[in-house]
Amino acid sequence: MSTILRTLRNLYRVGLRDAAHQMQYMGDTKAGTFIAKDKFGNKYYENLEEELPLRTRWVDYKEKEFDPSQIEPGWHAWISYMVDKPPTQDPILQTGVRPWELPEHRPNFTASRGAFKTYSTVKPKIKAWTPEAAPRA
Amino acid sequence: MFSSARSAAALALRVKPASALIPYRSIAAISSSSSKPASAVTAHNASGNPSTSVTGKPRREVPLPSQEEKKGAMQYALTTLDQIANWARQGSLWPMTFGLACCAVEMMHLSTPRYDQDRLGIIFRASPRQSDVMIVAGTLTNKMAPALRQVYDQMPDPRWVVSMGSCANGGGYYHYSYSVTRGCDRIVPVDIYVPGCPPTSEALMYGIFQLQKKMRHTKITRMWYRK
Repeated sequence: MSTILRTLRNLYRVGLRDAAHQMQYMGDTKAGTFIAKDKFGNKYYENLEEELPLRTRWVDYKEKEFDPSQIEPGWHAWISYMVDKPPTQDPILQTGVRPWELPEHRPNFTASRGAFKTYSTVKPKIKAWTPEAAPRA
Repeated sequence: MFSSARSAAALALRVKPASALIPYRSIAAISSSSSKPASAVTAHNASGNPSTSVTGKPRREVPLPSQEEKKGAMQYALTTLDQIANWARQGSLWPMTFGLACCAVEMMHLSTPRYDQDRLGIIFRASPRQSDVMIVAGTLTNKMAPALRQVYDQMPDPRWVVSMGSCANGGGYYHYSYSVTRGCDRIVPVDIYVPGCPPTSEALMYGIFQLQKKMRHTKITRMWYRK
């Protein structure tokens, strides 16, 4: 958020509904070209002319409880300025073309059912036994 | 008979690789240990109830705190109250800096303009009595452990602990050292573990986002009402 004039100008350009959505999630109104929607449903935007450096690309998350790990690897490269073209246009960044790639992107599973839990595969060092009392004579 | 078995074994060698182990049984005969073929092992879930856990007790699905449904008007009202309280909590997260080693440098980078923790309302406090979250950054030695516990005890509730770096998570490189505590979770209860050696500032910031997510799902007044 820079100036009131800029905020209002972007509000005028994106419309009241989107501006309210942006203020809720980003705390700023941003107008730009819609690049694409990834497989998960996140929407990516770009405005290379007017925005400040490192603020020119942004994402509109699909989920309310958003997390940066929901961005797929190719889109992560694009949004972090590692590549120029988005994965929809760059043939190298096409997902699912390499044999070692996972079929679907997995976000961070912390605090969910899929969270990692440690387990041991070795034999336990202590063994429990059922005590058997010998009958008294 | 022996020759016929041998010819059968030779035949089996040619026909099926599964029965190619037959000649080796003669070697197993001179072994004193009992044979434990892999086919004799039964799977855990093979017999009886398929939904038993590792401990043998029947498996029971408990909803996560974030998955529990709201019931009744009181719960809905208290949820709103909780949201306000959680919003206030996560908006001004004052960390007690417990910088012990090189991780502290990355923690300092978080406060520099590039990552700019002030925009998240994070201000480092030098006093434990004014702080909400303790970031244990670095190797916790046995000599420092009582001090860490004392500082944690001096913090007012609600309080959180972020364990930053391998050394604080579980000893890390110094796990087998005689003087290092093998993880700060042996001293204080830890909410968020940030892996790395040292973790980057982004990683620590991501850990703080995870902590904020945990705060968002905290049921403050709902738990109070349940009591």
